[in-house]
Amino acid sequence: MSTIEINNLTVDYVEKNKNFTALKDVSFKVNSGEFVSVIGFSGCGKSTLLSVLEGINPPTDGSVLIDGKPVVGTGTDRGVVFQHYSLFPWLTARKNVAFGIKQTQKTLSKAERMELADSFLDKVGLTKFKNKYPSQLSGGMQQRVAIARALAMDTEILLMDEPFGAIDAVNRTALQELLLELWEESRKTVVFVTHDIDEAILLSDRIVMMTASPGRVYKEINVPFSRPRNRVQLVQTQEYTTFRNSIISYFYNDITGRIGGEEVVL
Amino acid sequence: MTAKKRFLRAVNFLFIVLIAVQFLPNSELKEDNGIYVIWFSLIAEAAVILVSLISKKEQGLNLFSDIISFLYALLILWTIASAKSDILDKALFPPPGDVFRQFIEDISKILLNIGSSLAIIVQGYLLALVIEIPLGLFLGYSVRLGNAATYISKFLGSIPPIVYIPYGIALLPTFRSVSVFVIFLASFWPVLSGTMSGVLNVDKRVIDSARVLNVGKFSMLFSVILPASLSEIFVGCNQGLSVSFILLTSAEMIGANSGMGYYVKNYSDFGDYTRTIVGLLVIGIVVVIISFLFNKLQRFFLRYKR
Repeated sequence: MSTIEINNLTVDYVEKNKNFTALKDVSFKVNSGEFVSVIGFSGCGKSTLLSVLEGINPPTDGSVLIDGKPVVGTGTDRGVVFQHYSLFPWLTARKNVAFGIKQTQKTLSKAERMELADSFLDKVGLTKFKNKYPSQLSGGMQQRVAIARALAMDTEILLMDEPFGAIDAVNRTALQELLLELWEESRKTVVFVTHDIDEAILLSDRIVMMTASPGRVYKEINVPFSRPRNRVQLVQTQEYTTFRNSIISYFYNDITGRIGGEEVVL
Repeated sequence: MTAKKRFLRAVNFLFIVLIAVQFLPNSELKEDNGIYVIWFSLIAEAAVILVSLISKKEQGLNLFSDIISFLYALLILWTIASAKSDILDKALFPPPGDVFRQFIEDISKILLNIGSSLAIIVQGYLLALVIEIPLGLFLGYSVRLGNAATYISKFLGSIPPIVYIPYGIALLPTFRSVSVFVIFLASFWPVLSGTMSGVLNVDKRVIDSARVLNVGKFSMLFSVILPASLSEIFVGCNQGLSVSFILLTSAEMIGANSGMGYYVKNYSDFGDYTRTIVGLLVIGIVVVIISFLFNKLQRFFLRYKR
């Protein structure tokens, strides 16, 4: 699996002729096979960070290295799951997955692609729905298809941009469990953007906390809980509560520290 | 639905009235073609009964029977005003029976003319689609060219295509080729601008999700942008098709010796208004059938939208 190295990454946007710094001197490393969550409030640039990793936006300054090589544009070494519109609405679930496979495994025949797509849809529990269009699936099911596609593409790295942000609480729990289970199987390098602290703790090896205007890394923290993790047992422990509270207080301190001077948007 | 609801309908009452009206004495002694109206209404009524029997949704049945009721009412008034009284001028308003009879007599001639019109439309229209859709995709996707093309197409698209006809006649050898050329130009701008605006309105998130899949340029245009902009492309194609019909029939009235426009114009020149009305009705029916089929096609292609 691949490593990701982000060095002094700065990203400026020009919006209405005004320069706007989305990210300022962001540096951190993601080790091979590591699951890292990036958390922060809206506007802290965490999605911008991911778009640079995806290759959609270029860095203004600094660099992003994957296995030592700078990222130039999008690539088949990275699979992506967005919050919305990961899937093409005009393709069925099965064809969406097969379309992704086609981009990375060009040697496979159509029948082999379909077979592979079916096996991954089976993994996410959607065999019955494989011939449905995204509009006929619930939001949670759509994200399952998107995950199936990202995994079926067999990339070294998985980038996820608030993938469960728009899903109701019950389904979100189910999706987190599913993702954990699938990740344990493949142990890909994952960068997972979220604003949900519990989600970040449950899923990740390490949490990168970001703060806004301009977006920068505030603190990195290792998640001290062993795997495989059981959500129900984990949340009942005192360690979990303490750990969770410490993360919240970091954010709280950060906000109160800045509240006098700048406007803070939660 | 109860049997009462199914069969006790205004449409069936109007049917009886329509049949009865045919047996009234004619206002003057001339051949009576009322039997053709009776045959027509029998067929229509058979359809109504069939639909009443098999229809599951009340809404669909209501719509169908309302349309047929309207048709019956029109035929009743038309029969009374033309055949059974002197309200309307006989030469200008032939009774419906005459029109039906003329239609049956002329059916082979009519089919030939429809065929000739449709062949021209299909050629010009398909030519436009084959050229315009890829061009529109390309222009819409390339920002700079697209901006320029929008202005150029606004200018050229504002010229009513019918004014190209005289120039087309000078340029091209036959009336047929001129017609194909004019249809091509008529569908050109609606299809091009529909495609371009479709491409420009594709959700950026759809494009991003295609980009992260690392699709090539060709795939991006034809497997992503094309399906993503398909509904607006269809809007353009629809406009192009209706403009094509308007233009073709106009062109046929100017200088053709075949086609539905020619049929109408030719017989009205001779004062044969029975055939003129036949021609008008046939054109209406053809256009309705084509737009129906076009809609089916559109629904099939956009079936992923619930």
